[in-house]
Amino acid sequence: MIMPNLPAFLAWGLITSMFIAVGWTPNGILGGFGNADEMSWQGAATQLALADDGTTFRQYLGLVAPMVTYLLPILIANAGGRIVYKERGGVVASIVAVGMITGSTVPMFLGAMVVGPLSAWVMKKVDSLWAGKIKPGFEMLVDMFSAGILGAAMAVGAFFGFAPIITQVSSWLGSIVSWMADNHLLPLMSVIVEPAKVLFLNNAIGNGVLVPLGAQEVVESGKSLLFLVEANPGPGLGILMAYTVFGVGAARMSAPGAAVVQFIGGIHEVYFPFVLMKPALILAAIAGGATGIATNVVFGSGLRGPAAPGSILAVLAATPRDSYVGVVLSVVLSFAVTFLVSAVILRASRKRDLAAGGGDLEAAIAQTEANKGKSSSALGALASQAGPVPGTTPAGGGDALPDRPLRSIVFACDAGMGSSAMGASILRDKLKKAGRGDITVVNRAVAQLEDDVDLVITQRELTDRARRHAPSARHVSVDNFLSSPVYDDVVREAQAAERTQS
Amino acid sequence: MNAVLSDDLIVPAGRATTKEEAIREAGGLLVASGAVEPEYVDAMLDRERTVSTYMGSHLAIPHGTEEAKGRIRRSAISLVRYEQPVDWDGNPVRVVVGIAGAGGEHLELLSRIALVFTDAERVQRVLDATTREALAGILAEVEPA
Repeated sequence: MIMPNLPAFLAWGLITSMFIAVGWTPNGILGGFGNADEMSWQGAATQLALADDGTTFRQYLGLVAPMVTYLLPILIANAGGRIVYKERGGVVASIVAVGMITGSTVPMFLGAMVVGPLSAWVMKKVDSLWAGKIKPGFEMLVDMFSAGILGAAMAVGAFFGFAPIITQVSSWLGSIVSWMADNHLLPLMSVIVEPAKVLFLNNAIGNGVLVPLGAQEVVESGKSLLFLVEANPGPGLGILMAYTVFGVGAARMSAPGAAVVQFIGGIHEVYFPFVLMKPALILAAIAGGATGIATNVVFGSGLRGPAAPGSILAVLAATPRDSYVGVVLSVVLSFAVTFLVSAVILRASRKRDLAAGGGDLEAAIAQTEANKGKSSSALGALASQAGPVPGTTPAGGGDALPDRPLRSIVFACDAGMGSSAMGASILRDKLKKAGRGDITVVNRAVAQLEDDVDLVITQRELTDRARRHAPSARHVSVDNFLSSPVYDDVVREAQAAERTQS
Repeated sequence: MNAVLSDDLIVPAGRATTKEEAIREAGGLLVASGAVEPEYVDAMLDRERTVSTYMGSHLAIPHGTEEAKGRIRRSAISLVRYEQPVDWDGNPVRVVVGIAGAGGEHLELLSRIALVFTDAERVQRVLDATTREALAGILAEVEPA
């Protein structure tokens, strides 16, 4: 939900770091703190604000607050809705998000992540009630009104129902964070954040909790170290550099490239498989993350806005002038601490890893993608870089021997309605006759492939695309769905598998 | 046969002589039955340019692109048989099946078509059939998988 919207976060971060009262070039009109009655720019949106002396004045609305209040949560809800129910889900989710936003007084990132997919799901269920039962010619009318009415109703429901709950949760989380700050316990956040990152919960924590709290802190004090808790690229770099020096096999070879992608590109996910390969490394990440937070506490440094993606360049761009020393030190020190702890862990198990043939990076990548819930091009590149590792079975190994039992087969073509459907029924027929009717065979559009099947059969031209969508499945290409020797191979394999089982 | 392939969607003797005409003929039947909007036929031609829908055994199954799914009002299949082979990128095609798949309603029929066209003896009977009833009858013989 967050990834596709990162440009909006970045735009907001740039505008914030430029124009708010404590920004690089403060601007009351754009930053939203200027008094419209005293300034010459007319026609911009204003709101009534309370001055220190108790009087009210017309204050410019500016770009900063509307973007963080409305734009970002609506985009998040829209993306969440789309995942569940395409454009229609996105539209309904956006409507409901507004109910969520206006029903609360805190930025509704977390709320948008909840109601976006949820309201799209409700829409999908409601649509299925009368799917196929509408008189031809009235589909559009019914579609428009059902989504409009349901969206309106759910927006009101979110306003009175969900918004107060999420507001309460946010305030609890906020008081936990400020209690931690008061008791000098902020570095402990790494104990939760670092493992959560590797399990791809970083967006929920980073953008759902830390970013809204950070945004509130920025409004009060101009910067927040909370933005750097999750985005600090130091720990990831530490782990990857430790692999570069002390790792073995494919992991060692692919770590330097991953380090560039992670540190400069800000794609932290490339280091997650390296942690999953050797879970003890999470201790190194926690130690490094905590060091970074402690450094920022000591120096009173922080970022103006979220550094997204967590690249060193984005971090520096969001660093206010008075925080350079603290922020740079926090990255350097968390790198150093993570590197040292990782080095100890990797050295301790080096002999065993060498004997085992270098650890199973491909399996770890597959695990990371499973955690993320979808395939990742960054990780896909990493996998092809790593290549097959001696002594391990390749996870996406073309026409190689099966490395997992055949239970589900998908035929995929461009639109998923023609040739793949025919191929699927031919193979289904052959399998049934061979006594393996228990294997499910379905057809789908390549774009809708998911990485949850054992075997994917596509026309030769589409196999590469299919591989990207389902990296851990086995892939077979055919020239012709109607008559292909591949079908008989699959049937033979299925029969052989049954014999070995029984 | 059923709602997906109604009688007016079966043409035992098509008129087209080229691939493009044949796609327009099969697509035109879908438009005429109200299953798709006219733009869908253009998408069928688009799709043909990226990947040929020639399936072997004198069969081609033109259909639209993923993006054109919004042009489909309901699932339907048209079936056109040609007396003279149509040149389909160098392959001889005698039967053109136009597909509009909105949900999964067309899959059962498509499955029947697939099974008929993997059976050489049945293929020959389809090529020899000159009436709607005969064509529908051959499809009815197989059990969809």
